[in-house]
Amino acid sequence: MTINLLAFYAFAAAMIGAAIGVITMRNPVHSVLLLVLAFFSSACLWLLAHAEFLAIALILVYVGAVMVLFLFVVMMLDIKIAPLREGFARYLPVGIVVAAIMLFEMLTLIGLRRFSTVPPVADAALAAGLSNTEWLGRALFRDYLLPFEIAAMVLTVAIIAAVALTLRNRSNTRKQDPSKQVLVRKEDRLRVVQMPVSGKEPRA
Amino acid sequence: MISLTDLIVLVPELFLTGAICVLLIADLFVTQQRRGLTHFLAIGILLLCIVLTLRPHSTGGLPAVQMAFGGMFVRDLLADLLKVSIYVTTAAVFIYAKPYLMARNMFHGEFYVLCLTAVLGAMFMCSAGNLLIVYLGLELLSLSSYALVALNRDSPLSSEAAIKYFVLGAIASGMLLYGASMIYGATGTLDLATIHAKAAAGYDRTLISFGLTFVVVGLAFKLGAAPFHTWMPDVYEGSPTAVTLFISSTPKIAAFGMLYRVLETGLSGLIADWRPMIAVLAFLSLALGNIVAIAQSNLKRMLAYSTVSHVGFLLLGVLPGTPEGYAAATFYAVTYAITSTAAFGLIVLLSRAGFEAEEIDDFKGLNQRSPWYALAMLMVMASQAGVPVWVGFFAKFQVLKAALQTPGMLWLALAGAVFTVIGAFYYLRVIKVMYFDESKSADRLVLPADMPFRFVLSLNGLALLGLGLFGGPLMALCLQAVSR
Amino acid sequence: MIPLSHYLFLGAVLFCISVAGVFINRKNLIVLLMSIELMLLAVNMNFIAFSTYYGDVAGQLFVFFILTVAAAESAIGLAIIVALFRNRSTINVGEIDSMKG
Repeated sequence: MTINLLAFYAFAAAMIGAAIGVITMRNPVHSVLLLVLAFFSSACLWLLAHAEFLAIALILVYVGAVMVLFLFVVMMLDIKIAPLREGFARYLPVGIVVAAIMLFEMLTLIGLRRFSTVPPVADAALAAGLSNTEWLGRALFRDYLLPFEIAAMVLTVAIIAAVALTLRNRSNTRKQDPSKQVLVRKEDRLRVVQMPVSGKEPRA
Repeated sequence: MISLTDLIVLVPELFLTGAICVLLIADLFVTQQRRGLTHFLAIGILLLCIVLTLRPHSTGGLPAVQMAFGGMFVRDLLADLLKVSIYVTTAAVFIYAKPYLMARNMFHGEFYVLCLTAVLGAMFMCSAGNLLIVYLGLELLSLSSYALVALNRDSPLSSEAAIKYFVLGAIASGMLLYGASMIYGATGTLDLATIHAKAAAGYDRTLISFGLTFVVVGLAFKLGAAPFHTWMPDVYEGSPTAVTLFISSTPKIAAFGMLYRVLETGLSGLIADWRPMIAVLAFLSLALGNIVAIAQSNLKRMLAYSTVSHVGFLLLGVLPGTPEGYAAATFYAVTYAITSTAAFGLIVLLSRAGFEAEEIDDFKGLNQRSPWYALAMLMVMASQAGVPVWVGFFAKFQVLKAALQTPGMLWLALAGAVFTVIGAFYYLRVIKVMYFDESKSADRLVLPADMPFRFVLSLNGLALLGLGLFGGPLMALCLQAVSR
Repeated sequence: MIPLSHYLFLGAVLFCISVAGVFINRKNLIVLLMSIELMLLAVNMNFIAFSTYYGDVAGQLFVFFILTVAAAESAIGLAIIVALFRNRSTINVGEIDSMKG
């Protein structure tokens, strides 16, 4: 058993444990944090599979941006946990049975034994004399330019949608308008009032 | 590497992408009073897309299939036919939606931009030559649709529909991707034509059919075939009618395009594996759609269930795997989109500010209030029910004819015919309500003053009759598009 | 080196966990969204394993695009959840049932 294989088992166990935690935790914040752990372990697994760029991207993009967004939303919304757990105990056995049967069927159909060989190519990028990032980058900007541009449109749609759905003009917010502030004249703001002098002096 | 010849094949898509960006920025500088400018600009963009898509065909001598970007993008007659019908229905949607959006304070540029990005996604789905393009096109369409459904952000019903649509849509994408990963594992490629060749060469058959199962489930979700249709009634009912109008027409054409690319271009070698799955989906859709629709009192829900049954018919056409079958399914998809646009256009027509004409009872006595539009609704319902002379009959007839020629599928074709008769009941009920029931309000119908709206809607209604009587050329075109 | 079957096994397990998650947490939208993320992770695992196995770049690029789209998807999903929460003050799917039929 090589050190690679040992590392694989360790990270795989961490990932499966974290994934089970994600779907069973009581508190959504814990679920999000466990999901971060699952992503982190799978990034390590991807490193073992020589997918260095994607492993880093998973941490930076997913953990760094998407999971933070999840955390942000979970904390922003004042969620009452108790009603959300209704039916959890009822669905749990069904869920486990369905998942177990499905797993058994999937593994049988995939036929794992056929794939128990190690990859014939050690590392395609190294064989081509490139780093993993360069290998991906060359393919991305040469042969996969069209999907790259479509992905750009997908991200644009996400921005438009997120802004359209959540931005609202509130009537009760107070804003500053610098140009109006500059144009203010003395007469607009200052009113000199003539007051009759009252007899008594205020106490000093 | 890309070259100029690649880009020429993509001219309509490139133009639309640029136009969307221009529209998005131009809309920023338009005041609410002059928002009509965005409206006409959006329609103008679609009309130009029609010209750009059709122009190469007018000169003739076009190769039957043009590839770009190393086979990722396929432009053939079928793709262009589906795209033109997408432009036409979307332009009609824009015209119908305007008064509705204006009355509900939703007349903003986002509606137009999101509809156009959805159209762009639909175009890529129809032209995909690679699983990656299928996925990205699908997501572009789906993400735009989720946002459109939630666009009326102050309506609880609308955000509820959006979240249901989103969750089920995302699960469907996950299924589709899992299937795609297995197909990739079996063949080592994402290119649909290469997958076809490798499947024929007998690469890992078990693994491909395993992946295929997940892909079919994902496709069924997106099409809305029973038993994966659960999102449709809620989304149809909960969305603003202007959005229902859109998502009931364009995405259905795109979903058919995707189905064709994946099952025919990529996996036609495994027809023995996917035919039984499609047959079960078709039967369940026909049965469930037609029977549950009878119990609905909300017209939008009823039309959602009727859509499920139409999806069943569409799948009947895919079943044989022959050019005749695909031609019938193409014809069905295109004409269904036109019919559905007219149906929801009429619901928009009757609705006013603060009043949605969604209940079937709202159509009571329509004949006394507006004979012309009652007649239009009669045409839509008759066409959907499959009454002869109208286009729905012609489309159903073609599909059933193709299904009958498939060995062992006689029972399904017969079931299709039986359920059509059952389905006729609820369409006829709407007609009965319009012509023989007393109107709830005695006043005459207040029609929107928008002349283009009334003109296009009338044209749309008449098209159902016209295509039914003279649908031959379109059918011939469909047959030419799918035979190679 | 690690055999391909290990990664495929992991992908299948992860996929089943995510399906179970969808089943169990029908009422909790946030966890439902996280189950979908797990499902995509399972898919990514498969693609990366096959990509390494074949020495083919397409699988890793597919993962690149899945990550991009999933980020966009969760942005929209969370935006819808926020809009829903503003309208209904709940993200409990059990209470979200104003449409029937």
